[in-house]
Amino acid sequence: MTWLRDLGIGMRFAAAGGREGWARTALTAVGVGLGVAMLLVASSVPHLLDQRSERDRARKEAPVSRATEDVPKSDSTVLRVSAATEYRGLAVEGFLMRAEGARPVLPPGVAAFPESGEMAASPALRDLLASSEGALLRERLPYRVTSTIADAGLRSPGELYFYAGSDSLTPATGGHRLAGYGDERGGEPLQPVLVVLVILICVVLLAPVAIFIATAVRFGGDRRDRRLAALRLVGADIRTTRRIAAGEALFGSVLGLLTGAVLFLVGRRFVGRVEVWGHSAFPSDLTPSVWPATLIGVGVPSAAVLVTLVAMRAVVVEPLGVVRGGGSHRRRLWWRLPMPVVGLAVLVLTGRVDEFTPVDPYPIAVGAVLVLVGLALLLPWLVGACVDRLHGGPLPWQLAVRRLQLNSGAASRAVSGITVAVAGAVALQMLFAAVGDEFEQITGQDPSRAQFHTFSETVSGDAATRTIEAFRSTRGVEAVIGTVETYVTRPGKYGKDEVAPTTTLSVGDCATLKELAEIGSCEEGDSFVVHPRGDKEASDWIDETARKGEEIELNPTRDWLPGAKSVRWILPADTRTVTAAPDPLGEERRGIMTTVGAIDPRTLPSARTTAQIKVDEGVEDVSEYVRNTAARIDPGMRVATLASTERERQYASVQTGLRLGAVAMLILIAASMLISQLEQLRERKRLLSVLVAFGTRRVTLGWSVLWQTAVPVAVGLLAATAGGLGLGAVLTWMMGKTVTQWWLFLPMAGAGAVLVVAVTLLSLPLLWRAMRPDGLRTE
Amino acid sequence: MTPAGSLLAAHDLRKAYGSTPALDGASFSVHPGEVVAVLGPSGSGKSTLLHCLAGIVVPDSGTLTYAGRDLSGMSDAERSSLRRGDFGFVFQFGQLVPELTCLENVALPLRLNGVKRKQAARTALEWLERLEVDDTAAKRPGEVSGGQGQRVAVARALVASPKVVFADEPTGALDSLNGERVMELLTESARSAGTAVVLVTHEARVAAYSDRDIVVRDGRVRDPEFAV
Repeated sequence: MTWLRDLGIGMRFAAAGGREGWARTALTAVGVGLGVAMLLVASSVPHLLDQRSERDRARKEAPVSRATEDVPKSDSTVLRVSAATEYRGLAVEGFLMRAEGARPVLPPGVAAFPESGEMAASPALRDLLASSEGALLRERLPYRVTSTIADAGLRSPGELYFYAGSDSLTPATGGHRLAGYGDERGGEPLQPVLVVLVILICVVLLAPVAIFIATAVRFGGDRRDRRLAALRLVGADIRTTRRIAAGEALFGSVLGLLTGAVLFLVGRRFVGRVEVWGHSAFPSDLTPSVWPATLIGVGVPSAAVLVTLVAMRAVVVEPLGVVRGGGSHRRRLWWRLPMPVVGLAVLVLTGRVDEFTPVDPYPIAVGAVLVLVGLALLLPWLVGACVDRLHGGPLPWQLAVRRLQLNSGAASRAVSGITVAVAGAVALQMLFAAVGDEFEQITGQDPSRAQFHTFSETVSGDAATRTIEAFRSTRGVEAVIGTVETYVTRPGKYGKDEVAPTTTLSVGDCATLKELAEIGSCEEGDSFVVHPRGDKEASDWIDETARKGEEIELNPTRDWLPGAKSVRWILPADTRTVTAAPDPLGEERRGIMTTVGAIDPRTLPSARTTAQIKVDEGVEDVSEYVRNTAARIDPGMRVATLASTERERQYASVQTGLRLGAVAMLILIAASMLISQLEQLRERKRLLSVLVAFGTRRVTLGWSVLWQTAVPVAVGLLAATAGGLGLGAVLTWMMGKTVTQWWLFLPMAGAGAVLVVAVTLLSLPLLWRAMRPDGLRTE
Repeated sequence: MTPAGSLLAAHDLRKAYGSTPALDGASFSVHPGEVVAVLGPSGSGKSTLLHCLAGIVVPDSGTLTYAGRDLSGMSDAERSSLRRGDFGFVFQFGQLVPELTCLENVALPLRLNGVKRKQAARTALEWLERLEVDDTAAKRPGEVSGGQGQRVAVARALVASPKVVFADEPTGALDSLNGERVMELLTESARSAGTAVVLVTHEARVAAYSDRDIVVRDGRVRDPEFAV
């Protein structure tokens, strides 16, 4: 009962402490509220991802219709082909569709099947096409928007998505028969490397939020301690004062919890309008999961009470005032040091993570948390040890250093957020650099030779040739590594179970062929037999068809299409045999290569085109010109950007998450430091007025404030850099990679410096106000 | 209007905070080396008068001259410079910088005037000795008694050899014994250094240390020096 009574008194103090009391409670509530809102957003991420992938699966084709030959044409079947493209760096996804009957199945979110020349578009795509910004995209998607895709058919509100009707789509021109929508199978699991990255990102981003909340519940602590001293004077014992303080903290944190919930609910309504790096979400997607939300509801007030009680251990509240123990008691290293060391040990003992074995996330998370939180605990000792050794210097420096020597606790607390965040970000970036190199090695693509890759089954050599010419004459295109290709066989009679020797014939100009094989000199009319590097078996198989001075069958359809005419060509006897070289995609082409002078590609009975396009990136919208050309030739033609594979997209989305989180985290830390600084200035109003009375210059005190922020931040950044490099090195080792970039801490160190300057500049107005003579008035 | 030979003189000063007048036609003067007590009840405008005289607060109207210069026409930077060089201050409480040692607190005005750290520390120590608190040199204000802290404040007010020391209720937070000792040391040191002292107090016992006293009542001052 006594407990409850004292807690109640504390809550009453917080609720009815006059203007000052309310200001303090409001400050705590806003601080805790911001942190709680961020935690609620974080706890909504699983639901958000689930909802997104559920909608994504709902619009995928049903597995039953995967194999076209198994899906009979019916009244409800649909032919469709992907017409996905990109526009100014944004992905535009969509399909060309043709109904095969009167009652075609409809994708989710679409009310009516689009007729030929019509399109159902997402709201974002509809708006883009209607704006001047979308002029070049209108050329590519020249369909009339007749309906809007509803939320159920979209991954996120900002998604650019469409379904366009076509009357020329057939299975022969790439149309794929579909009987229904909805793929119930789970998505592709994240790769082990990415699991580790995601764990680290969560730890790195949420740790500063926790530290921010811990800082917020201590706002106005000095004033509270004085109030408690007054209570001691009227007979309250130390335990009572602690319980009263706990009651105040409880009230502030519960109010913060409510503020956070309100901020979250209000912010959620606007989330659809916010798009950061191409990502957005529907308000209903942002729903916290039950367990994390419960944990936040219980954990935040409990943590607030705990932090207050721990903080009060450093002060002795006496009836005649408050004695701070912070200055006199030495911070001990022995219990702070083991935590990061144990964290590193846990990581090392977890061992290496390979490409494919599923990862147990817990030891990695525990290890990373121990290292990062251990650094945060180490920081107060480190700041104290450093500032104790600082002497002399100009007056502003002396004022700042002496202030820190007297009490560096508040500064250390604020900076510990930076330390955790920077150490984590340094480690993550090191890991990203190492893993990123690996990802590029996996793709093997070389964007310096060509930035785009297109492929189309154009069925005739004439059309294939025109495709290459169309790309060559596109604005901004510098070179096209384009070949017209067909399968060729060795003429002859073969039994039912025999396979005719077959290879690929690629026709291109000399410049193109030199990109694809190690051809020293090349003149129009030349031909080459191209062997793969180091594969004798495959080379022998090619030579079965590519016999110099002998005939080759250019129309392989002759073997299975009744009535197809044989087209023969003699491989010149002086044809040179050369070795293949990787193309910009990193792939080796092999078989027979000839120049246009040797075979006119327009005469090939069936062909396809592969074109790798190099553009002048200085030409504005050059990518859009290339894609518009492709769409003009064939709306279903895929234009892939080199180095843009599925795995890299996953990697890029994780990196985007890190960037988003890092920005939010830096703002939070800056806010935390600023509030601490402002609170300190308010506390020192009278002293500052006295210093002004002496004639102290504003600039002197301004510099003093700067140094007071800069010194702990510098120490924090040093600790963060050392810790981050250590953690990064261990994690990189765990991935079986080597550290490639040790300098990655520099941008974060720069961000820390910007933070110091920003906090100082933002606190100057209050400093100027505090330096007014009003502080000297006592009546 | 300025009394002959006065170092600092104010005539018909008016100052209001919002709609509340703090000074309502106050006149005052002090001569070099003179100790003048400003007496008056709580809320009478004593401190506002001191703040105006020291150039901390700019009066709404009236004239204010220091050593023949018009103080009310000076810029903030000029007034700050004057306070650094020519004035010293002692307040009732909360005036010592808590993170600096007592020695560093006393050296502060010298450092603000650009004196090198070691030289400033030497001079500061001399003043601590004169004020009989040299044993507090390495201590922080929170570690010394109220009387010691106030003597440190007096040392700080006098260390830069100011022409005028402004003392606002310098013994208000001290017991009578300590208060008297502080006053003795302040007035003796000021007189020996030829420094004028403007002493704001509501205690007649403290005012007894002055050469003359004036009374502020409802923002008005009766200074016999201005009597025609």
